[in-house]
Amino acid sequence: MNITKISVASLLVIATALFLINSGLQNSNQSDEDFSNAEPILAEKTSDLAISDEKDSDSSDFSFNGMPIYGDWVVYTMEDGLPSNKINTVKIDDNRILVGTDRGMAILQNGEWTVYTPEDGLAHRNVLSIDINPSNGDVWIGTMNGLNRWSAGVFERFDQFNSGLANDVVYEVRADTRYTWIATAAGASRFDTYTGQWLIFNEENAPIHEPWTYGITTGGNKAYIAAWGGGVIEYNNDTAQFRVYMDPDGHFNVSLFPDDGLVHDITTGVAYDDGILWVSTYFGLSRYNGQRWWGYFPHNSGLTSDFVNAVKAKYSVGYMATDDGFNTFDGTTWVTYKPAENGNGGVTTISRDEIVKTEITETSISHGFIWNMDIREDIVWVATSHGLSMGKVIGTADDIIL
Amino acid sequence: MKIKKRVLVLIILLLFTILFVNRAINWSADHYEYYTIGEVSEVRERHIDALKCFSCHAYTQKDGFFVQKTEGIYSSPYNLAVTPQDDVLLVTGQESDRLYMIDLKNHQIINSIKVGDRPHSVIVAPDGKMAYVTNQWSGTVSVVDLELGEEINTITVGGGASGIVADFDRNILYVSNTYTANISVVDLNTQTEVKRLRAGSYPSGLNISPDNSTVVAVSQRSVIVEHRDPPRTEVTIIDAATQRVIKRNYFLESHIMEKVEYTPSGDLAFTTLVRPKNLVPAVQVDNGWMMTFALGIISPETGVMVQLPLDEPNLYYADPYDVRITPDGKRAFISHSGNDYITALDVDAIRDVLERVKSGEIVNPENDLLLSESYVLKRIATGSNPKGMTISADGNTLFVAERLTDHIGLIDTHTLEIRDYIALNNANQNAFLRRGEQLFNNAAHTFQYQYSCYSCHPDNHEDGLTYDMAYYPGMDISNVQTLRELSNTSPFKWNGKNVSIYMQCGMRFSKFITRTEVFAPDDLKALVGYITSKIEHPPNIYRGKDDELTESQKRGKELFERTKTNSGKAIPVRDQCITCHPPPNFTDRTLHDVGTATDKDSHPEFKTPHLNNIYESPPYLHDGRAQTLEELWTIYNDDDLHGVANDMTKDQLNDLVEYLRSLGRAEYYYDN
Repeated sequence: MNITKISVASLLVIATALFLINSGLQNSNQSDEDFSNAEPILAEKTSDLAISDEKDSDSSDFSFNGMPIYGDWVVYTMEDGLPSNKINTVKIDDNRILVGTDRGMAILQNGEWTVYTPEDGLAHRNVLSIDINPSNGDVWIGTMNGLNRWSAGVFERFDQFNSGLANDVVYEVRADTRYTWIATAAGASRFDTYTGQWLIFNEENAPIHEPWTYGITTGGNKAYIAAWGGGVIEYNNDTAQFRVYMDPDGHFNVSLFPDDGLVHDITTGVAYDDGILWVSTYFGLSRYNGQRWWGYFPHNSGLTSDFVNAVKAKYSVGYMATDDGFNTFDGTTWVTYKPAENGNGGVTTISRDEIVKTEITETSISHGFIWNMDIREDIVWVATSHGLSMGKVIGTADDIIL
Repeated sequence: MKIKKRVLVLIILLLFTILFVNRAINWSADHYEYYTIGEVSEVRERHIDALKCFSCHAYTQKDGFFVQKTEGIYSSPYNLAVTPQDDVLLVTGQESDRLYMIDLKNHQIINSIKVGDRPHSVIVAPDGKMAYVTNQWSGTVSVVDLELGEEINTITVGGGASGIVADFDRNILYVSNTYTANISVVDLNTQTEVKRLRAGSYPSGLNISPDNSTVVAVSQRSVIVEHRDPPRTEVTIIDAATQRVIKRNYFLESHIMEKVEYTPSGDLAFTTLVRPKNLVPAVQVDNGWMMTFALGIISPETGVMVQLPLDEPNLYYADPYDVRITPDGKRAFISHSGNDYITALDVDAIRDVLERVKSGEIVNPENDLLLSESYVLKRIATGSNPKGMTISADGNTLFVAERLTDHIGLIDTHTLEIRDYIALNNANQNAFLRRGEQLFNNAAHTFQYQYSCYSCHPDNHEDGLTYDMAYYPGMDISNVQTLRELSNTSPFKWNGKNVSIYMQCGMRFSKFITRTEVFAPDDLKALVGYITSKIEHPPNIYRGKDDELTESQKRGKELFERTKTNSGKAIPVRDQCITCHPPPNFTDRTLHDVGTATDKDSHPEFKTPHLNNIYESPPYLHDGRAQTLEELWTIYNDDDLHGVANDMTKDQLNDLVEYLRSLGRAEYYYDN
């Protein structure tokens, strides 16, 4: 097994990723240094505020009662017990919040933070992705050096040496009832938790032009893989057939023809809910309902930046992590959140058609460079370059616009 | 003239006889020696009369005439349940693939219902109308209507369905999947599996607390531990309300937990376990303590785990299987399948000992074999290989499945006397191979009854541990190998020293391992006949319908049979996978140096292991260093000595591993 070569390839990929991340930070309208002067207002932190008793629901016939507006932001940093302010990812569980940082995984439960590091069994301190199997509650943790299944307090490690995991650099993990999907720096993997079997999807056996997969999600009986430079690869679990979504404009970094397909082949994330596929790229956002595509850029929409790190979906609403704010969109209304430039509070912008309304808020997300987020009906948690933010639903866009 | 001719013919015949018959006898003797005792000759006369041509060439062939015609079809009662009305006893027939319904008024079999392949356990619904049977080799649960007397539905679960328990309040079934290491959660309303929970390695028994709040599952095998670390075997605690695992606790230095039972008060759960001393030299057996047997006590609430010995000094009670507690919580019973005994325990006395352990008065109770006298009430002899047990609803009768005598024993739980037995069929229990199976499962041939063949080879397989078996302590650590389908895979042992099972189980075995007298010749023949002709692999769980390979497995097969590297360079024949691992058994039956020897190995070459159902046998390599199949190549094949593989990409290696997992019974490859 040519592990050495793969390891070198992994290092190259990591180096490239770090370069791009740094580029993203430089592109950001607000740097860490800017933030140090910003001093966002910290709302009172209470455990009952942080975690609602209401459980998550994936019922497809449920929808928000209007486009939600988030506010009353609460910020958590190292001062509160986080191991780092660099928050890569966040996941809402029933009664706890799981946070992936570059210095371990932190759990907020009953108002207390608990930190897990490699000494506890974590595959690597840099936690890039967390997901939870909806049926059995097992936590899957993607790190910079391997994958963990964390089940009832026991860490189990999977890596490219001891298992069929395609590569140790795990960018995203998605756990369904039976299958766990993993996007890695050298292809995507599917682990069958029922049988222990692994499948690898890469340029050798799947229509993935580049093996560097950055995001992965599932919907219905399909999986969607965001491949860096390879668009989105759809895999049907029932038929084992692939379908590829690429940018019809090829290698152009601009979308020559609007809404003709994916906005760019360099994809960073995918999300699926309510029959809609969302695709984030570093050159804009795509949305696909099975019949047609829409492309979104700062110049034609409320999207605050075309540098979109990740995307999530809840019902019909897409949640975008950009290098310049946290965005939401339901197909008609954009709501964006940024810290105020003067460092006092935040700015929430609601836009629908030609209507644009801006609200100055007393509280704010902790930083404008957003890495990821997770959503429940009543709250959103946002992972940023400097701190973790939690916002509550405080109203709907209609309340403000109409 | 005619007389002269006749005399001449007689003289020629006489010379022929002198010349060739004598040679034939000598050849037979040499042949026998080679396959049984090697160069040892002083015991030749003793054994040469005992072993006949038939010994090796009749009963060791699975499909041979003698095996087919002389052995009966046995019921092999395995596990039991009794209806809440105490009127019908339900018994799984492991070998007959049937569920027996026995009328407890007249002890007559009133129905024998065909279920799946290798039925394991059975439970009955509170109304006594439905029963649920796990079928270990089918990976299914049979839903049996007891009034109709037939299977009315089959629920697909995981590989190796074994233990089963129901939460009838929530209409949920839990099934242990031994081969896929998880627990199926089945919705009884829809009779479909809704989720699986990761369990320990080879999960087996499970049970639900009296208040239906928690389910506890125990495992047969240790989790994979670092090389040469002691075993750690998982107890999985499940929250019945959410059907999620909430705790994973571990019994240390022990394994092979087969069953588990809650006390009626629900504060404790009892399990059976084996405590192998696999990290110290096995040759110490004559000093005692090669293997001990214990009662594992779990407090699901507090997580406290205590092990109490079931043995006595210089006397061991091997292979505990089932544990049952009377409804009043006063007495517990353990079936020792390796000694043909039931141990009756005083639960109050056990609680007293637990208090002394808790107070610190007793330290390391698991190693104090004298302790058992404080809670063992009686040892009750049974028929051969007592396995599953159940207690009548009134608490008066303990039913015992005496698997290898095809009997159900009835024991009075108050007097602790055998009250009666129920015979399941009339097959000859003394038939040759049945005798061999009884010997295999019995510890009577080991010093102080310390262990049976089954102890290290549970379910005729292997226990997943490595043992220090060598003459020189610390040298030649051996990964236990499976006993399934050994025909045509000789020689045996990793060093290939034993050219036959006769040799493996004969003189050498008693000299180094059991430290007792060798098996009597007839016993040895029966034992070897059983091992070589009756032990099969379960169906391969990674093969698709009609044995079709998946796309990944097909690609892996091409890699397994490839003759060129990815760059087109020819791979020397000796370095191709299929050269040393040819079908049908995927072994060339010779020794090779694959670069895995260490300074703890006395020689660099090891016998090529067979690969049928190899997925069942982690860890891998002669000393169990490789925890997974992947590690054979990602970690332990730097120099391509274990086949040329370093040019493979990760996805190719994955395909190769998937193909290896698909390698099933040898007979498939004979036919194809």
